[in-house]
Order: sequence, then structure tokens, then C-alpha cells
Amino acid sequence: VIERRGVRHFDPLIILLALALVAYGLLLIYSASLSAYPEITAGHPMIRQLVYAFMGLGAMVAVAWLDYRAYGQFAPLLYVVAVGMLFAVLFVGDSAYGSTRWFTFAGQQIQASEVAKILVIISLARYLADRQTQMRDPRVFVISLVMAAVPAVLVLIEPDMGTALVFGAVWLGMVAMAGAPPRFIAILLGLTVALLPFVMLFGMNDYQLDRFRLWVDPNSDPLGGGFNIRQAEIGIGSGGVFGKGLTEGSQTQLDFLQTSTTDYIFSVLGEELGLLGAVVLLTLFALLLFRGIRAATLAQDQFGRLIATGIVVMILFQVFINIAVNIRLVPVTGIPLPFISQGGSSLLMMFIALGLLEGILIRHKRIEF
Amino acid sequence: MSMFEGRRRWRAKEPKKNQPASRRISTMAAAMRALVILMFGILIVQLINMQVIRGEEFQEQAEINALREIPIPAARGLIYDRNGKLLVQNAARFSVAIMPGDMPEDGQQGMYRAVSEAIGMPPEEIGAKIEEGIENQGEFSPAILKRDIDRDTALVLMELAPHYPGLQVIVEPSRTYLTGDLLSHVLGYTGPISAEEHAELESQGYLVQDFLGKAGVEYTYEEALRGKPGKKLIEVDALGQELSVLSERRPIDGSNVVLSIDLDLQQRVAEVLKEFSGDSLNAGAAVMDVKTGEVLAMVSLPTYDNNVFGKSISSEELAALVDAPGKPLVNHVIAERYPPGSTFKTIVGAAALQEGVATAGTTITSRGYITVENEFDPNVVYIYPDWAPLGTLDFYGGVAMSSNVYFYYLAGGKADEGFRGLGEEKVAQYARGFGLGAPTGIDLPGESEGLVPDAEWKNETIGEPWTVGDTYNFGIGQGYVAATPMQMLTAVTSMVNGGRMVTPHVVKEYQDSMGNVLEAVPFEDRGAAPVEPGYLDILKAGMRQSVTSGVARNAAIQNVAVAGKTGTAEFGEIQWNGKYPTHGWFAGFAPYDDPQIAVVVFLERGSGGNDAAPAAGRIFDFYFNGSRAPAPKIDPIPTPGPVPGAEISDEPPPATDAPAPAVTPDPVPASVPTAVPIPVTPAPTPEPPPDTPPPETPPPSPQTMRLRRMEQVL
Repeated sequence: VIERRGVRHFDPLIILLALALVAYGLLLIYSASLSAYPEITAGHPMIRQLVYAFMGLGAMVAVAWLDYRAYGQFAPLLYVVAVGMLFAVLFVGDSAYGSTRWFTFAGQQIQASEVAKILVIISLARYLADRQTQMRDPRVFVISLVMAAVPAVLVLIEPDMGTALVFGAVWLGMVAMAGAPPRFIAILLGLTVALLPFVMLFGMNDYQLDRFRLWVDPNSDPLGGGFNIRQAEIGIGSGGVFGKGLTEGSQTQLDFLQTSTTDYIFSVLGEELGLLGAVVLLTLFALLLFRGIRAATLAQDQFGRLIATGIVVMILFQVFINIAVNIRLVPVTGIPLPFISQGGSSLLMMFIALGLLEGILIRHKRIEF
Repeated sequence: MSMFEGRRRWRAKEPKKNQPASRRISTMAAAMRALVILMFGILIVQLINMQVIRGEEFQEQAEINALREIPIPAARGLIYDRNGKLLVQNAARFSVAIMPGDMPEDGQQGMYRAVSEAIGMPPEEIGAKIEEGIENQGEFSPAILKRDIDRDTALVLMELAPHYPGLQVIVEPSRTYLTGDLLSHVLGYTGPISAEEHAELESQGYLVQDFLGKAGVEYTYEEALRGKPGKKLIEVDALGQELSVLSERRPIDGSNVVLSIDLDLQQRVAEVLKEFSGDSLNAGAAVMDVKTGEVLAMVSLPTYDNNVFGKSISSEELAALVDAPGKPLVNHVIAERYPPGSTFKTIVGAAALQEGVATAGTTITSRGYITVENEFDPNVVYIYPDWAPLGTLDFYGGVAMSSNVYFYYLAGGKADEGFRGLGEEKVAQYARGFGLGAPTGIDLPGESEGLVPDAEWKNETIGEPWTVGDTYNFGIGQGYVAATPMQMLTAVTSMVNGGRMVTPHVVKEYQDSMGNVLEAVPFEDRGAAPVEPGYLDILKAGMRQSVTSGVARNAAIQNVAVAGKTGTAEFGEIQWNGKYPTHGWFAGFAPYDDPQIAVVVFLERGSGGNDAAPAAGRIFDFYFNGSRAPAPKIDPIPTPGPVPGAEISDEPPPATDAPAPAVTPDPVPASVPTAVPIPVTPAPTPEPPPDTPPPETPPPSPQTMRLRRMEQVL
């Protein structure tokens, strides 16, 4: 399927940036797990992450190799699989930290929502691409919204507010790119803002209200839910401009931070590598996202363009929400930092997403500019 | 790739109008780039806020997080008697506590259950105690769940501790007092620091879980006994486990304290006091080295076992102890004041010699009473009785026989005979000069000041002018004047040691744990007694005569010349037999020629001559002769106190020159003016029928009754 000239369009920067991020993440995982794993052994989280990274690279190549339009062919099926997974995980999934998100498959834990995100992006892209001439039809707008809302609500039930928000953001970015009239979007955002207080009053369960309250004042439960919020803040704040040095952070090394290799890995970075380390990280992400945006503009068809857009928005929001939780800009919600957080599903699906981007680039027929 | 080819192959169709809206796409792309920059910009702004602007604040918090200052308690000093006998030992008591800041986020309930099973306290109560602890002391001070758990439970909990972060078994020092109730009033006890004490002492490094001295020597010498706690700075992980010691300052153990108390003597004094205290609610006795002011023995009855404070004592138990008859927690030797009765005559006598009111040769005749006319109505005459018509007495005889009339003259004078007395002001001045009306400065807490009245005081407190009758009562240690046994002891001490007002003390010196003397505890004299040694010698001779042939003769012992003064002081309400209950006093010293020790005995109910004097005799006998022999048959000294009304004889008072031989007087009559207006004709004065129980107290009258009540109030 790959014509020889197509290979020229392969974007090595995307891979290099991704590998740089993974390497950065490995350093942080190493430091964060130093107290639990003083020596590097086969079961060390860093080794496992490295294995997933190689698997991800392979998956990426495979996904890029296949014509991405073939995924569009199976879009309805993919959507059914995504919703089915999210539905099933609520009943048979494993729980951790008060949330049910994982399947155990072949000895590996698979986070359903990580897989579902990519599948829903493909399905939405297919639906919107098919109707690119009917974008002024409110029905198209509403149906696409429902398509995104169903998995979002299922994820919300887990509960996983962060991922639900990512679904919302991805849909919004995709319909905007697809050419939905701005007034539709304006009306929807207006409605959302207007309804927000009611949702918070009546729609949020105790768990979410608690998290909101703790975000406002972590000291209301300094030893319970507020503990990590405060410790993350202390860790990052105490890092200063240059950080305390890798493996030198007292908050990290003395185990004041919990889940320091996953959701709170940014706190390790903030404490040990400081503001400079954070700027380096955000620069890497910004460059990667710019390459993704470039892929969207180069895509030969609307389908590819929308997939690329969805992936860019997904990565952007995950990065933003994860870091914002760490630095107490938003209430706590568990969401991995792409390429950095320890976690097989997330890493694999990120590489698969990059594979889609590469596939789109390889097959574009335009002249580069 | 053929599987994807064919008629069913799907492709996104390009719009029919070939209008790829490339402008829109590039606008969208630009918008997305802007969004990336905006969102990452927000993150960076917040990061700058946290890491640069508030960086130092968070750095401090990170340090507080990881570093803990752990106190290392110092071993409390031991206490010995003057001969090196150990009186108190350190022991351990176990308490279970939880450090709230180290508890895990989850699994607290499991921890509560485990602890609950071990100590039998409901989990809810544990939770409540932890909440309370956080509120009072923050989350990084251990909240005590239960004190005094037994050793086995402590071991169980110590095994649990590593599995439950925050759970601690605190080993606290406790004191075991080896002498039980023998030295409780001197040693005192320790207890957990109270919130108020902690607020006051926090700057000295006291912690909320500390123990400190609450009474006795444990209280007064807290600083020496406590030593200096050390501390170490350690690095901990989030579970509070110690990772490394960054710095350490070793504790300095408390100094050992050596009492001036002689345990054997203390033991004997306690026995003697019990034997002679009769139906007294309380009693006290003390022995002092007259040269140094060292207290060799100090016993207050009833006593208590201070070991009860080594365990957690419930408020009910404590209340029962506080309210028990005789107030066992009170050290009656120093903390309560009583009318000193005739022991006060030593002070009046010394004052009269110093002021020239009397000389050794001044003779006064006691016809058994003295009369005073009412200032405004000469027809009204008040009678002040002696305990017997003692005849003509010189100064020695006045002291030895404890003649009230003799001391009425010295204190108040006799205007119609032209005898000038000291007057109220001088009596008060000398009483204060000998240390009454102010704490003696003994190194024990809770000392009473006593009371030295004067005209100004009476006017302010009672709102009545001072009368000659008041001066008469004052002169014989009755009326308003009140003193602690310790005050009387130090007064007598200063009379016999060359006129030095010593500061009494129960602690001699500090030693380190090896027994090396660190320093003798310095006690400076409170100055000189207000009377010159030459006059004091006359007084001492009178006191000696009191023991050889006077009313204190039951204090005499073999081999050693004892001298002293008894007192039988009325107090309280009149009894069924028309008499007042009396306190029995003895204050004296020995040997007469070269005084070494002074002794005071106070019995809440008893007679000076028949109870207190022989008790003191047993103490002298033990001290000088090592004898534990019981008292020889007590030579009954009539307790003074004419019985009112009915017993008043119709005969005129015998103007005898000498006391009726049969009636051996011990004077100490006491107190209050018989304020019964009587005909100018010498009225029947109360006179003790021979062989009757001795007179000591004048009959009360309504007015007296009121005065007595005042006295009680005061």
C-alpha cells in the first residue's frame, strides 16, 4: 500500500519526539521508584515501561503500514467495540483508587478507556467525514455529540472525570475542524456554562464533590484525600527553578508522593528538575503537537484530517489536565501523562495514535509546503 | 492489501464543489497551535507562581515534612535521705498513642480495630481521641489513647506498631516511692503536665507528654531532678519511619537530690506522733538542726501513699483523697495555721526583755485572773483568767509555769498599777521579727503565711478597734494570732542558735549519678532574730525550767537537758462539757547547753503538757539516746481552762503565792476575754477545782463565741 514516494513523507520528528518523551519518562520513573526498587531488576517499572515502548514502536509501524482508510471501513464495528468495552469494564473490571477502569487480559491490565479513545476518534472521523457537506445540519451536530457522549458518560460512571473531559474536548475539536457552524458550538458552550451550576449541585456524586472540595482546600482533610494534593504542591513548589536534582527530591524519595510513577509523575519532575525541566517537557509536547497539527493540514482527505485533529486534541488535553491536577489548577482526576506516566495501555495507545498520524502523512498526495 | 480493495472499499469523498476550504483548514491549524501555546502558557504561569514566587515557602514545608525532631528524655534524678538511703526509683509505665500525621490515608479503621482489641477501647473512642489530639496539638504530636497499660499489652502493641504507621507505644518514666506513706508530704509526686503548665513551660522545652513534679521536693526541685532532655533530628519517610539520624544531642540526666531528712528519725517521729495524736484529725511534728535549718524529720498526719499518683488516678479517687478526714494531702506542718497558744509566750517574753518591759527579776503575782475596766463604763469589768492562781512569779517562773497573768502584764500592761506592757504594736513587731506572718521560705510548696494581727489589721478586717483585751489574748497566743508548726519551730530555733533566723529546708545537696556532690543547696539566713543573745539566754533558762519543774516536765529525758515550751490552745466551738477543744503544742530544743536540734509537735486535739510534751520527749530520746522506749508514766499536767459558769466558786480568788500544789498547772489558758461584765467586786474567778482536769481555757461568752468564729474564718 505504501508507495515508494509515500515513504518520503514519513515524519521522523514525530518518532524522535515521542522517543525523547519516553526516555524522559523513564528517567522520572527510575527516580520515583528508587525507594521501592533500589536495584534495577527484570520487574523494575522502568524495564516494563521500556518493553511497552518497544511494543508501542512495533504497533506504530504496523498501524502506519496499513492504509488508515481501512480503519474507516470498520468504523461502526470499532465504535461498537469501544462502547462495549467501556460498558463491560463497569461490571467485570478491576478497581483501583476507587475507580473501575481495567480489564485483566493475558496477565496484563488493559485500561479500557485508553483503547476506546482511539476507536471513538476513528468512528467520529468517519461519521463527520461522510457528512462533510451537511455540517450545517443540526442533526449531524447532535448525532456526533451523542456518539461522543455515550462513551464519555460510561467513562464518567467508572468514575473517570478526566477521560470524560478528553472525550468532550476531542469531539469539540473534531466538529470544529469538520466545519460545524460556530454558532452551534457557541450555543452548546453557552448551554454547558449555564447548566454547570446545576450539574454540580445535583449531578455530581459525593466522590466528585469531595474532590472538588479538596481541590479548593486540601487542608480540610490533610491526611486523607487532601494529602496527595498538598504533597504534590509542596514537591513541585520546593523544586524551584532548577530542581533538587534527579533522585534528590525529598518528597519523592521519602514517599510523600503517592502514585508518583503514574498520575503524579509530573510532581517528581517538578521537584527534582524544577521549572527548567517542566519547560523542556512542555516544549517537547508542543513540538509533537505541532507535528500532529501539520499532519492534519497535510491529510489527503477529511477522514485523515479529522483523525489527526482528534489525536492532537486528545494528547493536548491529557497533558494539560494531568499537569493541571499536579499543580492544583483543577480538581483531582486520574489521567496519565502521555508517553511519560508508567502504564502499558496508555503508552501503547499513544504509539498507535502516532502510527495513525504517520499513516496519514505517508499517504498524503499534496506537495509539501 | 487486496483485502481492502473492491467494491465495498470506503473512501472519504471530497466535496463536490472542489472547495477544500484550505483557508479554513489553515485557520483551524493556526487556532490549534494557538490553543497549545495558550494552554501550556497557563501551566507555565502557575509553575512560575509555585516554583519561583512561592518556592521558598514550599521548600520550608518540604523540610518540615521530612525532618522530625525527636526528644530524648533525660532520666529523672533519684532522691536519697541524708544517710544515702534511696527513697525513690524510676520505673516505666507504658502508654499507647497514635501519631495522627503518620496514619495511612486508608486503613485507619483496620488500625483502630486492632488497637481496640488489644486495649479494649471501642474504635469510636479511639477516633475521638485522635481528633481531640489533632485539635489540641496538631497532627505531629502523639495523641495518647490510654495510659498505664500493662507490660503484656504493651508488648502486643509493640509488635503491631510496625504494621500500623503512626501507632506508638510510649514508655514513660514513672516514680516508685520506696517509703510509701512515710515521706509523701516531703517527696510529693509527679504527674502529667497540664495544659496550663505546658503553656507556661513550653519555652523551657516541656512537651505535652511530659511529666513534672506536682508537689513536695519533686515540685520544688523539678529543675534539678529533670535534667536536660536531649533531642535528635531525624529524617523520616511518609510513614514516619526513621531513615537516618542527622544530628543528636544526648540528654543530661537529672541530678540526684539528697534530703536533709534522716529516714530513721522520720520513722520514729511518725510512730511517736501516731501514738500521741489521740483523736486528733491531724497532727504534725518536725525536727530541725538549729545551726543549719536542715529539717531532719517532718511528719504530717494523716498521710497518704504518693505512689497512687504514679498510676492514672481517677478524678473520683482524687476527690476522695482531697476530702478525706484530716485532709491527708495537706502538709499540716507548713500548710495550715493554728493558734500557737502558750508557745507564743516565748516570743512575748523575749520581746519584753529586749524592750525593757521586764527583766529576769520582774515579779508579777497571779491571783488567777486579771481584770480590765470597760473604757467607757468603769462599772463594766472584764476578767482575763489565769489557768490557776499561780502566785508571785519571776520571769523564769512565768515562762516555766506558763502564767497567763504574767504575760497579760508583759503584753498589755496594767494601767491601774502603772505597769507598762509591750502593746499590740510591739508584740506584732516581734512576732514578725521571729518569722510569724510570713512564709519561712522552706523548700516545699504550699506554705501558709500564718497571721500576725495588729490594730490596723483588726480595723480593716473586722471593723472594730483594738482593745487591751485583744492585746492580752495576743500575749498568750490566743485570739487572732495563728502560726504554722514550722513557723514556731524556726522561731524557737532562732532563739537557741545565737539569734540567727535560719531558712528551713529539706534538701541538703545535689549529687550526680556517681554520688559526687555537685553542690550543696545554699540557704541563706533570713537575718538576725530581733532579740539580743543575752536576753535569749534568759528565755532559754525559763524554757529549761519549764521542763525541769514546770508544765513541760513530761518532755524530760535521761542524759540530755531538754528545754521547751508547751501550749494548749483553744479553738473551735464550745463542747458539751463547757470547754473548748484544745490544740496541744510543744516547741523546744536540746541539749540546753549546746543546742543541736529543735522539735515542734502539734496535735490538733490534745494538751501541751500531757500529750505534746511527752511526744517531743520520745523524739529527743530517740535522737540523743537512740531509745525507742515508751514514755514513762506521764505526770498529769492539769489542762488549763476554768470551766464556765457552774464551776465558778463563790469564794474570792485565793491570793495565793504559789500554785496549789495539787494542781499542777500547765497553763495555757488561753484565749479570749471573758467578756462577761461582772460586778466590780472581785467576782468569782474561775478556778480549777483541785484535781480536776486542768484549766486551760477561759469560759467563752457570747462575745467570745463571735471572736472564735472570726478566728475560724481567718
